[in-house]
Amino acid sequence: MTSASALERLLRPVAPLLPGISIADVADRLLTPEHKAFLSLPIVDGSGRPVGLVSRSALQDIFMQRFGRDLRGRHPVEEVMNPAPLTVSLDTSLEEAAKQITAQLQYPITEDFILVDARGHYRGLGTVLDLLKAMEARIAQRNLVLRKALVELKESQTQLVQSEKMASLGQMVAGVAHELNTPLGYVQNNLQLLRELSAPLFDLAAAQATLADCLNDPQCDEARLAQALQTAEQARQDAAPELLAEDLAQLFDDTFYGLGQIAELVVGLKDFARLDRAISEEVDLNECIRSALLIARNNIKDKAETLLQLGELPRIPCAPSQINQVLLNLLNNAAQAIEGFGRIHIKTWAEAEAVFISLQDSGRGMPPAVLARIFDPFFTTKPVGQGTGLGLSISYKIIQDHGGQIRVASEPGRGTRFLIRLPRPQALPLQRSA
Amino acid sequence: MSEPIRILFVDDEERILRSLAMQFRRQYQVLTETDPRRALERLKSENVQIIVSDQRMPQMSGTELLAQAREIAPDTLRILLTGYSDLDAAVDALNSGGIFRYLSKPWDPQEMAFTLRQAAEIAVRQAQPSAPLAMLQPAPLTLLLLDDQPQTLEVVAEFCVAGGHRLLRAASLGEAVALLNSQVVDVLVSDLQLAGEDCTPLLKSLAQAHPRLLSLVVTPFRDTQALLKLINEAQIFRYLPKPIRRGLFDKGLQAAAEQVQLWRAQPAQVVTRLAQPPRDEREREKVGSLLGMLGRLRERLIA
Repeated sequence: MTSASALERLLRPVAPLLPGISIADVADRLLTPEHKAFLSLPIVDGSGRPVGLVSRSALQDIFMQRFGRDLRGRHPVEEVMNPAPLTVSLDTSLEEAAKQITAQLQYPITEDFILVDARGHYRGLGTVLDLLKAMEARIAQRNLVLRKALVELKESQTQLVQSEKMASLGQMVAGVAHELNTPLGYVQNNLQLLRELSAPLFDLAAAQATLADCLNDPQCDEARLAQALQTAEQARQDAAPELLAEDLAQLFDDTFYGLGQIAELVVGLKDFARLDRAISEEVDLNECIRSALLIARNNIKDKAETLLQLGELPRIPCAPSQINQVLLNLLNNAAQAIEGFGRIHIKTWAEAEAVFISLQDSGRGMPPAVLARIFDPFFTTKPVGQGTGLGLSISYKIIQDHGGQIRVASEPGRGTRFLIRLPRPQALPLQRSA
Repeated sequence: MSEPIRILFVDDEERILRSLAMQFRRQYQVLTETDPRRALERLKSENVQIIVSDQRMPQMSGTELLAQAREIAPDTLRILLTGYSDLDAAVDALNSGGIFRYLSKPWDPQEMAFTLRQAAEIAVRQAQPSAPLAMLQPAPLTLLLLDDQPQTLEVVAEFCVAGGHRLLRAASLGEAVALLNSQVVDVLVSDLQLAGEDCTPLLKSLAQAHPRLLSLVVTPFRDTQALLKLINEAQIFRYLPKPIRRGLFDKGLQAAAEQVQLWRAQPAQVVTRLAQPPRDEREREKVGSLLGMLGRLRERLIA
């Protein structure tokens, strides 16, 4: 046990005295160099059990009286010893010993404490000063451990926040990748069709070129001309350009539309991440909402219709990628909360001091017990492995770091509404004076 | 000249429908719907042999549509065409939709054509007038269990005792092949791993050698890609995730038993299972060698 050996280390072997020894003899001993460090000396009985402590201050009180030494010097020390000294067993832990000693300690400190073994036999003296030093060392060590733990905690928190960010990023990328598959599907198919449909046109062109060559060639005989004419006619029938025109126009339209969709998604991804822009800039939150909606579309489209009521907003300074993260998180939560097909209603408006985003879903809502904890880190209602429980706590932190607030109201069976308030820059001084 | 094969494509993106219609309108009679509810209405009144559906649509999911389509027109071959790889959707599509293929967007035009040709082939065979269904007495089946977990054994054993079916067990793939060569097995219940060996090639071989043998896969693996291959290349009948849910498992076994009885009452050429050969080269070789080992079985089937 480290604690037990800690007291052992405090032990100072001082030869104990018997109760019958004279006060003068004790005084002489206290004056010897090896006893200089002690405030008191131990008294034990014949079997080695401590019966008291005689302190320097008790003897001083006697000797300071006139004729004190002459009158009482020969008296046995038990007359002046403290018969109930501080006694601590060596197997006590340092903390427990400190507790016992400080509880009984009186001011001024005039005595040391006695250390006994498990059977109660005297083993040595301990000084209060040594005990304090030991405690201080212990606390310093504790602090070191705590500080290390704190650093580790901070690191793992950073990692967790990072992994939540990566998880939501991964989700987003996977969602967009899937979303790309639909236009990619028909664009690819259309190109294959265009190739197949246009092949006969080249055959037709070749046949007509042969025919033209034939017509321009004075040496071309009747049979060759007839052959060329027939080939050209056949090629024209195969290609059926008049029928083809409509199909080709449709294919080209759809293909361009699909490429536009793909481009929109890619631009949306880029806008969403805003990796190429400054951390904080003047941002139109309505743009953030549109961008988050584009990214979340694949998670939402089969769950809910979205209703947008976006008011005119002043640009406010913020980190758009962080705000987007919050919005995506809220949108995905809303979609997941909806059973069957529901509605997500997003509203924005500006007031004198702040801008507001309200995001309301027609999902299953939350009971008060859940509602009270949704911003707590690691709180999740999803099955293990499906949510880190950090999404909303990070969202909360992001909005808080922006000087804003995020509030929630929910009713089981009716839905949930999140309200984000972000301060307008000029409103800050006003707020302080208010 | 028989009636042309009618294919119904369902997708909420009309451009997908236009593209597919243009690709296949020359070989098949192509119908398209953007709303799955209207697709279901059509199925009630029109004859459709093949239905190809998207998964994520606002009104209804593809798996839901296919499950309902199965109720309305059980003979229709059902294919899911989706841009999302979603395990739950795939499991649902197989277990309740009984899908023939799970295809991914973007699709390969040749592969899509091949799949539809296979489906059409089955549809043509199904359409042939079959002998009137003799109402057979439910006859006992033979089940082969390839899983050493006691929980699986318990459920399968109870099912066999209750139905008077015969239960065979094999501790290794070698044993399984030997049993399959010496016995007529109707239903296979298998994990994907048996004594450290991968059962997938065996499942794929059986789909080719013995299209009437129904495989129920019971597995802790949750891998969408693996499941897609099991659907397309092994034509498995059910995919039941471990830990097993008793009700689901029992239902699967029951459905398999009913299917076997139904097939027994039909002529041999009406086989509604047709697996796609494995794409992976190494796997194709493995399946090939297993098919050799299962040769005797095949000969017997042909005979």
